[in-house]
Amino acid sequence: MLTATFEPVLTKTMQYPESHTLEVYRKHGGYEALAMALQKQPDEIIDMVKRSGLRGRGGAGFPTGTKWGFVPKSTDKPKYMCVNADESEPGAFKDRLICQKDPHQLLEGTLIGSYAIGANRAYIYIRGEFAHEARLLERAIEEARTAGFIGRNILGSSWSCEVTMYVGAGAYICGEETGLIESLEGKRGWPRLKPPFPAVVGLFGCPTVVNNVETLACVPHIVKLGWEWFSSIGPERNSGPKLYGLSGHVNRPGVFELPMGISLRELIDEHGGGVPGGRPVKGVIPGGASCPVLRGDEIDLPMDFDSLTRAGSLFGTGTPIVMDDTTCMVRAAWITARFFAHESCGQCTPCREGCGWMQRLLWKIETGEGEERDLDTLLSITDQIEGNTICALGDAAAWPTRGFAKKFREEFLQHITERRCPLGGGSLH
Amino acid sequence: MASVKIKVDGREIAVEKGTNLIEAAKNAGVAVPHFCYHPGLPVVGVCRICLCELEGRPKLVAGCATQVEEGMHVITRSAKVADARRAVMEFLLIHHPLDCPMCDKGGECTLQDYTMLMGPARSRFKFEKITWPEEDVGGKLVLNKNRCILCMRCVNLCKEVAGLDEIAVLSRGEQTYIGTVDGRKIENELAGNIADICPVGALTSKDFRFRARPWELTNVSSVCPHCSKGCNITVGYHPRRNEILRITARTNMDVNQWWICDRGRGGFHFLHDPKRLLAPARAANGTSRPVPWKQAILDIAQALRDIIVRHGARAVGVVGSGTLTNEECYLTRAVFKDGLGVSNVDFPPRPQPEVAYKKFTIEGDKDPNARGAALCGVAPGASGLGVRDMMRAAAEGTIKALVFLRGGPLDLFGDPAIVERALQKVDLLLVVDFVPSPVSDRAHWVLPGVTFAEKEGTFTNSNGRVQRIRKVLTIRGDTREDWRILQDLGQALGVLPVTDPDPERIFLRLAQAVPAFSGLSYSTVGELGAPIAAATADVAVG
Repeated sequence: MLTATFEPVLTKTMQYPESHTLEVYRKHGGYEALAMALQKQPDEIIDMVKRSGLRGRGGAGFPTGTKWGFVPKSTDKPKYMCVNADESEPGAFKDRLICQKDPHQLLEGTLIGSYAIGANRAYIYIRGEFAHEARLLERAIEEARTAGFIGRNILGSSWSCEVTMYVGAGAYICGEETGLIESLEGKRGWPRLKPPFPAVVGLFGCPTVVNNVETLACVPHIVKLGWEWFSSIGPERNSGPKLYGLSGHVNRPGVFELPMGISLRELIDEHGGGVPGGRPVKGVIPGGASCPVLRGDEIDLPMDFDSLTRAGSLFGTGTPIVMDDTTCMVRAAWITARFFAHESCGQCTPCREGCGWMQRLLWKIETGEGEERDLDTLLSITDQIEGNTICALGDAAAWPTRGFAKKFREEFLQHITERRCPLGGGSLH
Repeated sequence: MASVKIKVDGREIAVEKGTNLIEAAKNAGVAVPHFCYHPGLPVVGVCRICLCELEGRPKLVAGCATQVEEGMHVITRSAKVADARRAVMEFLLIHHPLDCPMCDKGGECTLQDYTMLMGPARSRFKFEKITWPEEDVGGKLVLNKNRCILCMRCVNLCKEVAGLDEIAVLSRGEQTYIGTVDGRKIENELAGNIADICPVGALTSKDFRFRARPWELTNVSSVCPHCSKGCNITVGYHPRRNEILRITARTNMDVNQWWICDRGRGGFHFLHDPKRLLAPARAANGTSRPVPWKQAILDIAQALRDIIVRHGARAVGVVGSGTLTNEECYLTRAVFKDGLGVSNVDFPPRPQPEVAYKKFTIEGDKDPNARGAALCGVAPGASGLGVRDMMRAAAEGTIKALVFLRGGPLDLFGDPAIVERALQKVDLLLVVDFVPSPVSDRAHWVLPGVTFAEKEGTFTNSNGRVQRIRKVLTIRGDTREDWRILQDLGQALGVLPVTDPDPERIFLRLAQAVPAFSGLSYSTVGELGAPIAAATADVAVG
């Protein structure tokens, strides 16, 4: 078992009372990594992160060190680090835990990242609903500033960095990195056309890196424990510790820090305590709402980026939603589609029009009004959206609908032939 | 600029670096459909109808937002591209009312055209459509959100050309809509361009809507007569009704780019003013009676001659106009200055505050041809008087005859009290104009000229660009083109040895006489105009 020798690092101090304070954080070695980082050249840090194999924890799994490496070295423009704390993917609540229980870990990672890319200002973009976490973060920033970790000549070095928190107004799309940048600039949170990518033209037209909370929280540990330590955890190309947010029909939902590549079944059965009443797993959305659902018989697979892609789904944020046999999969698909239709920014045609259409079709089928050709239409709409939009929200809406409709086609057809939901709507409402 | 070699659907072409795929394909003779892309607006890439395939790349790219690169092979005729286009068309039509028969855009609607071109003929969307009430958003526009495809051209026009955020995208998802903030009205004077560039019938012109179908109109290229900028316009003319129904912007990158202001757009209703002067008239003892042209011209020439014989050419004042064409200004000079030796020749400027938007300026000089008038010699000759001094001299009695080639309010020509006295005192007051004015009301003779839309000619804009105006309407009543009136007068006065049958030939004479116009002709002026000779650009001919 992978987890036998694994020691949690991201959640280690969270067990202590007042873990969100600077005092507790420092007592357990907090900000030592920052001091170590400042002794190194920024390029060394980037190189370490590259070698560690750290991939973005926000869903796309892009190698973090590579992203940092895209920031141009010779530019007169200021550079910015943006922390994506707009965790809005249904099923994901891992970044929230960090902001709540260990905001200094995030700040330390943010500062090291800023130093590595040559930024003198970092913005933490936190979703509006995280009001409590925003207050804690704000306090943490103050503490760190008072202690000299934020501000001028940090720890006696020649490098200065300010950290500013910005509270979003509650839009999933602001978690898309260019949507986040637009929102941070005070505009509508509409994703930008890419290229140019933020590393070249980002916030206020300047080179910018946008990193997920958990991604940055990994950075101090890489600096402190070495890239070799990080890359030794988990499968090749999918290294490191991971916060799995487990929810749905499990006995012990919550955030679990485990190595990348842990078996999904083990996560559910061992760590999540299995399904209540010992009911069978009917389906699992493995990495947040945008990831295609897996059937209950498909969950003997490692939880990592590459394995889930191979399985036709996605690792996403690594936050599985478990559904037992009382769940109506059409309703689950409809709830997912409704979310994306509601969160579509409305900018580009396929996503704006397609998401609402999918939602209508799914509701029609769920309520027993569906026809077989509606299922064909539904699948063709997913094809018509996928790949044709400005940002990944279109894909994120198309994939789960297609996943549900393909993986549970029989159940969809049953709704159509019986002209009702065979599960009476199921356990989701 | 450096050029790159690319292939479009297998056809090799060289295009400028930085060109996007839509423009590059156009160069190769391939039309890439587009709704949101407009060469004069920022690229937003939202409609997705311009998706193109690039050889070797798995994902389609937006043609508007992708720039050519050396060796690129752009594919627009693949099944993949066709599928994507069909998908976008289907999506755009799901909530669209498909009310083409009653939509004012019908016949010139991009969405309609593309639907005819690439379908789908039937909708698979069997749900209730989202509907919105019609809305007055100001700017002389009506907003019908049901037809809107959210291309954002309207928003970007206001933002990028006018520099004002008067209209915005609001809400999100399928509830996204275009609107003004808090129901405020669009006030910028460029908003009319929205009706031109809206690719659907969402924002239509209050002035034009439901007046005619676009295919009923004959479109004639002309130049706006409302300021010295010389914006290129298309005059939409209804031949059966002999009526102009709208003016739209005509692209000229050297003058107005793609835009015109709303003053020019709406500034044609005066053509159909029921109070138009329609016949030559002689006023005496408080009554006015029509006189046949021939008689009128002879009588006026006789009266002028008498005054010159008795008091000399210094007793004549000629008030020209910067609204007349180069040809007419040239004739003004030829007849009065060169022919009769009148040195009191001038025209009144009509300044108003300039309105400078972010990328478009409505010029302050309200004459379309002030530059041309000055160049052609509508200016005081040796010891000649300007307009104001002429009025004073006439009020004092030294000027006995005043010829106004356009009337106007009294204060246009000087202190109204002095002008009033001048007009009362002169022995001969001749006014050539197309509408009555305080000046024509006091005239002994009124000759009905015509508007910019009823004659051929050229204007010289403030930048020294010579551009053609066209005869659009059939001449009304017993009116006569101003160039014809001036030639007739010149003939009757015996000072014009030859006359020309059309302004094109007058222009050739002008080009020989006035150095600034040297070498120009109607064919070199063409559709988009030509600059006057640079070396002589600022030298007025006296």
